[in-house]
Amino acid sequence: MISLIRIDDRLIHAQVVIGWGRILHPDRIIIADDDVAASDWEQSLYAAATPPEIKVSILTIEETVRRLKGGVFDREKIIILLGHPRSVLGLMDLGLEVDTINVGGLHYAKGKEKILDHVYLDEGEKSALRELVKRGVTLEAKALPESEPIILNSKVV
Amino acid sequence: MIEQKPAIHTIGIIVTHGDLAEELCRTTELIVGKLTGCYAISGSDFCDEEVIGRIKEIIDQARSSRAIVFVDYFGGSCCINAVRAVRGLKGVKVISGVNLPILLDFITKRDSFEFQEMVDHLINRGKESVRLIEF
Repeated sequence: MISLIRIDDRLIHAQVVIGWGRILHPDRIIIADDDVAASDWEQSLYAAATPPEIKVSILTIEETVRRLKGGVFDREKIIILLGHPRSVLGLMDLGLEVDTINVGGLHYAKGKEKILDHVYLDEGEKSALRELVKRGVTLEAKALPESEPIILNSKVV
Repeated sequence: MIEQKPAIHTIGIIVTHGDLAEELCRTTELIVGKLTGCYAISGSDFCDEEVIGRIKEIIDQARSSRAIVFVDYFGGSCCINAVRAVRGLKGVKVISGVNLPILLDFITKRDSFEFQEMVDHLINRGKESVRLIEF
């Protein structure tokens, strides 16, 4: 059962593991990212950074959808972490149904436009989010569970 | 004859969230005086790309063959950025969980040990520094 689909360019970090983890109590965190899935050192670091009571899977977008659709994680509470808005499109293109995503952290980098404190977007990200809005996805900006949710849909069109 | 300052053998780069790095260095200075060969990169001042660039720049420009990057939190973004910056470089180690006892020992003993011995010593120092105070 998917508890949360979150976009966060830092993937697994304290805010996710402690901030969200202590409220949602996930059984597993899935990092759905083709680049990280191909990088041994990043996988070891992210896996080691997760507390022992939470399982971690680091998968390509394609593997993520395959396993979810195949029922592999049906009995677990899952948090799916994605580094880029376009990864959500990737999941949906392969048949995963998504109605709301948590836009947690897209951090400042040169050339990005500030939308909120934790949401800075470049053109590519804006365009991917626009496409998600077109597909009926609600973009909810929420850094932590107790943060006031802000719907971003109108801010990206 | 002009006396040249000896090259510092090991530089320290402290990378943390918020202003912790700056404040740790400032506090260390209260105890041991002006720091040299020690650089603070505080998360509130730089984005990820800038942190990685700054670490690489410091190592590049330092007259030293050894560097330790101290980060606040194992697996956190500072840790990931540090590894991204130094992977493939020789003579650089990354240690997480930096605290004041570790920094003080680093400053006072950094050139007294072989590199790996120093790294092991600093890690033990950090662990030993967490203890219950009996009273």
